[in-house]
Amino acid sequence: MDYLDQLESKSIYIIREAYYRFRDIAMLWSVGKDSTTLLWLCRKAFFGDIPFPVIHIDTGYKFPEMYEFRDRLAKEWGLNLIVGRNEEKLKDGMGPFKGSKLECCTELKTNALKQVIAGYGLKAILLGIRRDEHGIRAKERYFSPRDTQFKWNYEDQPAEIWDQYKSKVEEEEHFRIHPLLHFTELDVWEYVKRENIPIVELYFSKEGKRFRSIGCVPCCSPVKSDARSVDEIIEELRVSKTPERAGRAQDKEDTYTMQKLRALGYM
Amino acid sequence: MREDSLKFVIVGHVDHGKSTLIGRLLYDTNSLPEEKFEEIKATSKVLGREVEFAFLMDALKEERERGITIDTAQIFFRTPQRTYVIIDAPGHKEFIKNMITGASQAEAAILIVDVDEGVREQTRRHGYLLSMLGLNQVCVVINKMDLVDYSRERFEEVKGDIIAYLDGLGIAPSFVIPISALKGDNVASLSPNLEWYSGPTVLKALATFDGAKIEERPFRFPVQDVYLMGDRKVLVGRVESGEVKKGQKVVVAGRGEKTSVASIEKFPVENPEKAQYGESIGLCLERQEGIGRGEVIASEPLPRTTGTVRGSVFWMENLPYKKGDKVVFRCVTQEVKGEIHEILRKYDPASMEKKEEGAQEILPAEVAEVIIRLDRPVLVDPFSFISEMGRFVIEMNGIPVAGGIVSRE
Amino acid sequence: MEKRKALVVGIDGVPCTLVREFVERGYMPNFQAMLGDGYRLYQMDASLPDISSVSWTTFLTGVNPAEHSIYGFIHLDRRDYSLRFPNSGNVLAPTFFQVLGLDPGGKESSLARRYLPRLKEARTSIVINVPHTYPAYPMNGVLISGFVALDLARAVYPPVLVSTLKRMGYVIDVDPSKGHRDKEGFLEDLFHALDRRQEAFDLFFKGGWDLFVACITETDRLHHFFFDAALHEAHSYHGAFIDFYKRLDDLVGHLYDMFRSQYGEGGLFMVLSDHGFATLKREVNVNRILEEGGFLKLKEEGERYERIASGTRAFAMDPCRIYLHYKDRYPLGEVEEGEADGLLEKLTDLFQNLKDEEGSPVIRAIYRRGEIYQGPFMNDAPDLLCLPVDGYDLKGRVGAETVFTDSVFAGMHNQYDAMLLLPEEKGFSGKPQIGDLAALLLDHFCEEDL
Repeated sequence: MDYLDQLESKSIYIIREAYYRFRDIAMLWSVGKDSTTLLWLCRKAFFGDIPFPVIHIDTGYKFPEMYEFRDRLAKEWGLNLIVGRNEEKLKDGMGPFKGSKLECCTELKTNALKQVIAGYGLKAILLGIRRDEHGIRAKERYFSPRDTQFKWNYEDQPAEIWDQYKSKVEEEEHFRIHPLLHFTELDVWEYVKRENIPIVELYFSKEGKRFRSIGCVPCCSPVKSDARSVDEIIEELRVSKTPERAGRAQDKEDTYTMQKLRALGYM
Repeated sequence: MREDSLKFVIVGHVDHGKSTLIGRLLYDTNSLPEEKFEEIKATSKVLGREVEFAFLMDALKEERERGITIDTAQIFFRTPQRTYVIIDAPGHKEFIKNMITGASQAEAAILIVDVDEGVREQTRRHGYLLSMLGLNQVCVVINKMDLVDYSRERFEEVKGDIIAYLDGLGIAPSFVIPISALKGDNVASLSPNLEWYSGPTVLKALATFDGAKIEERPFRFPVQDVYLMGDRKVLVGRVESGEVKKGQKVVVAGRGEKTSVASIEKFPVENPEKAQYGESIGLCLERQEGIGRGEVIASEPLPRTTGTVRGSVFWMENLPYKKGDKVVFRCVTQEVKGEIHEILRKYDPASMEKKEEGAQEILPAEVAEVIIRLDRPVLVDPFSFISEMGRFVIEMNGIPVAGGIVSRE
Repeated sequence: MEKRKALVVGIDGVPCTLVREFVERGYMPNFQAMLGDGYRLYQMDASLPDISSVSWTTFLTGVNPAEHSIYGFIHLDRRDYSLRFPNSGNVLAPTFFQVLGLDPGGKESSLARRYLPRLKEARTSIVINVPHTYPAYPMNGVLISGFVALDLARAVYPPVLVSTLKRMGYVIDVDPSKGHRDKEGFLEDLFHALDRRQEAFDLFFKGGWDLFVACITETDRLHHFFFDAALHEAHSYHGAFIDFYKRLDDLVGHLYDMFRSQYGEGGLFMVLSDHGFATLKREVNVNRILEEGGFLKLKEEGERYERIASGTRAFAMDPCRIYLHYKDRYPLGEVEEGEADGLLEKLTDLFQNLKDEEGSPVIRAIYRRGEIYQGPFMNDAPDLLCLPVDGYDLKGRVGAETVFTDSVFAGMHNQYDAMLLLPEEKGFSGKPQIGDLAALLLDHFCEEDL
């Protein structure tokens, strides 16, 4: 077994553990590269037929390419697709241009997901997060209990050793399960390449720019890149040291710089 | 893992030279990634050798902490003959935990002693742990010989002390080698500074230790779940040891029923012929009625079926164990209720106190040798034979509270 | 022949007059010993303006801002009035350690042209915590960036050292916002950071370097929040302030002793600060002055400089860089080249006559750009630069309601009272300028090649 085989086998093992523990489970599919990889791993775990629903949270602001890709793949792979929308807030005109972006995210993403979880009585959700995404993720576990407010008590987590995962659900909890946690961004792309997993074309360079992570149109900015294929992305990642959310990281750094300067009275 | 490999741990008192020895082993066997090596070289040019290996260790650790490898805390180096895996034992606090979780996979140990300082408290503690974990391939290295002008007299003195101590624990080290990890004396090549020494170098000594022969181990397939594919039932799980081929004779270990492999399932591969160690697959047997999670499909020699498990446990959670408390024993996909029947001996790493007899409870961070009595039999292998089937987790109230390994018996 | 070495200790914001006073009072025995051991203490001029990023960059490059292009912590994007934060990548002249490493990083300057031909072999430098060196870049040696370094991973060259520093608990900077909410905790942090700083100095001291630059920035942080306690014995933090200086004296003495015992008399040891400090009385909102004088028009929309409206003739950026709102440079600019002289005269008048509520003058000196800057990057230079009388902290805040406001800070920078400690034989006849030191250091390394 090579390195990717090991990553894959561990993910499949975790997906199957999750399904064994929770038959009331679903997978969250953002249509991005990570969760599409997770979707593929689920297909592998269940020999092609995923026995649980796949949820897509639709904020109404996704790229048209994403909707097209979602519907095409859902049909091809015979997915039981649930589209979750916070209809009430969408009707009220909630959007990134109204109020704060955080508020928009909370309503259209977080609360829309809460509605789906409650509506379908789900006990567990599979998510495609990775440990290398950013700092706080380093503390994530494969099986991560959340209360109804989605709170995560990361200081008080049991150890996960030898693939023995916490599985007991308290009354108020649901589980978030992260079978992709041990993949890095580069691993994902190498795995995508090897398995030939379909990927939204937004990731590939057009006119010198591409998206490194995708979400809602108003909140995503492309990075400079000439990578037009998976191979070229892998090559780019091997040499580049900028973090995945570089487009936004810069803003963050500026904000932070500004805070520091202001704290010393320099602005 | 086709080639021969040996997993070992380097233990010893803080600052006796663990990091330097690891750095030296990597350096002398050209086992550093090219990039890292260049960087270290550039850095060492500026900073001199003394700190160089410590920087390297930090950098390697950092990489591991990013969670890239599946098994954390491992460092590899290669000689033409075999691959070595150093299981790292970082700060003292984490050490014991690592020792029993990751590090207890060690097949051999190097105990390092500073020739200038001699045997110190952690030297003794770690020696004790080696005995508790049943490690019997031990090499003692007496480090920093350069600081005592390669004095044979001083070496013999320290050697005497450590041998006497280990003897009391029932450990007879296979080698006691004078070295300077910093200068490279007797690590990869015999040193002209130590002409009075006639034994092997550290690398030669390691080469004499036996490693696990993963490819020769028998087949183990703990059933994780059963899926319906069309009208066929498929057993799913991961090959935890050995390999499996279509048509191979296997045993449903708990029942002793013999059957054979009808098909192997790996989506989207059509009709694969075999599956190897570590793969998550599906399996259809000729006769598989009633088989479900927790059963183990195996080949000879079969795992032991037993209602009592003897092993060493490390208590991780802030939840002490009191004799009589109910626990759940989890090993691969098996989960059985039971209790810790006897606490044979125990060790508190913080106070260094041995509380050997008649203990009634196990406190957080303690290591204990125990006998666990289970409500129904489980299938296990000694940890030293098939680690995947010889390690277990103890759960209380749905929380994993301890890790443990199955003794040889 | 023994290779030449130099150890430079930077102590951010330490005023010369305060060091004199504290040496006299016996708080700084190590400095006292050095002064009795052939060293001389000079009052030194900081850069113009006397902002850490400008002053340290001037020190490191040995050229004036028009040659290195750093004029402040913030820079205005002329296309849309948004703010930019220059970093090490915006320094357009090579530092002396790049020159010593014989790798000026593709940059050039008058200093580099002068010294590169005279240096025969590449020297190794260790540079720790000098402000405005973030992100760290490849150089011959070790570079650990100082303020405003945000991410340790990008603040260290070579990167292999990042994890070691992390493990050591190295502190890039204390959290200055804590100075506002938790003074005690902030003081603790300052002492703690000093300890971590010393650990890093000690670790790298062992190596085989030629030039070592060890910078301490905690002094500046201390001063911003506690400078009024420096000489005010009844002040509740006076004791803490003195303790901090004793600790600083210890640390500098420790570095001096290590250096002496390792390299004997042959090495060059110097201590410098990048600017002085004074007790702050009032903040002076320069843009408010311009507004009241009819030079600056603000609209309601936008943040900070985005509020600049048409009709604006001039605006100010921290601390008192006055820029004319030229027609061909800014989207809403309307000042014609020909009007500049008249406008600058009016502004000079305005500032020269500026008095506080009690009638005391506020401005000590006013310079036109041509007087103080010379070089290829004049474009970003302010048209006018004012220096205040001690006590009046000039601020570039946009939209302040009054000219004079109270400050939450206790101290402010000044330009004339930076300090320099040097062996007597390296002496200056006049008042040294911070930009002179790079040449002095490079000379030290050239001598042996002659």
